[in-house]
Amino acid sequence: MNPMTRARRPDLDALQARFARRVAAGLSERSGALPHDIGERLRVAREQAVARARQTRLAQPAAARQLSVQSQGHLALGESPSLWQRFASVLPLMLLVLGLVLIQHLHEQAEIHAAAEVDAALLADDLPPEAYGDPGFVAFLKQPEP
Amino acid sequence: MATDKELSDFLRSAEKRAFKRTTYAVRDDDAALDIVQDAMIRLAENYADRPMAELPLIFGRILSNATMDWFRRQKVRRAAVLNFSDLEAAGEDGDFDLLATLEAIDGSWASQGPADRLSREQTLALIDAEVAELPTRQREAFLLRYWEELDTAETAQVMGCSVGSVKTHCSRAVHALAKALAAKGLKP
Repeated sequence: MNPMTRARRPDLDALQARFARRVAAGLSERSGALPHDIGERLRVAREQAVARARQTRLAQPAAARQLSVQSQGHLALGESPSLWQRFASVLPLMLLVLGLVLIQHLHEQAEIHAAAEVDAALLADDLPPEAYGDPGFVAFLKQPEP
Repeated sequence: MATDKELSDFLRSAEKRAFKRTTYAVRDDDAALDIVQDAMIRLAENYADRPMAELPLIFGRILSNATMDWFRRQKVRRAAVLNFSDLEAAGEDGDFDLLATLEAIDGSWASQGPADRLSREQTLALIDAEVAELPTRQREAFLLRYWEELDTAETAQVMGCSVGSVKTHCSRAVHALAKALAAKGLKP
């Protein structure tokens, strides 16, 4: 770009912008005179779009209301709905804790029962002669009766 | 959130430009009407809750996407890609003085009065034809920037390109239009 062109650059930019806007204005003027049938089809399309937007807007609050009613459906269960709701939410947890306690209890009972069976089997069995050679057993025998 | 009336007013103000923009791209009035309608419906269904100020940009983007969808459906993707990616140089024709041409056209338009009605209509038809002849990307950039009056950043967003590309496309479009109009006799 030579120095003269550089100096004239602001003029060129301004002229380009003005030219472009005049071309655009010409396009607007020409498109304002579109054939009637095209104008009508555009009008119908616009009206359909606006109707669709209205439907969408109406559908959104309705869906929100439905969700709200569903979430409040438990209100009819008793006089103190919040209490019922809280109870309903805590109930599964309570059942879980009760179940765990029960399992623990049954497990302990099973262990006790198994140990008792082993002790009973040992006591009921014949004493082997080698037991009298065991210092611990001898000490046990020498203990006084409680 | 745009009300029904605001949405309707916006669409009324944009529909003719949208139709012309699309017609330039697809060269078929019926297809262009279908595409504009599709774009309007998409806007209404998905973006009607947006503020009014955002609608022009969103609608421009939707319209561009709908036009591309049409090209895909028509299985002329190859042609569309060729058109939509034409970053061809405008030709560095050194003997064409853009400044002088623009000054001449500017003077020509400034001097037009109501008596030049027929000449005016011919000029408008000429402009219409020359805009239609622009390469697709140049035309898109030019129309979005100067007809839809988006700024360069918004135009870039709609076109999915950089601000620099928008400026280049616009400059080349102005250059091509000025040269073509001057060649067709739009002189002082």
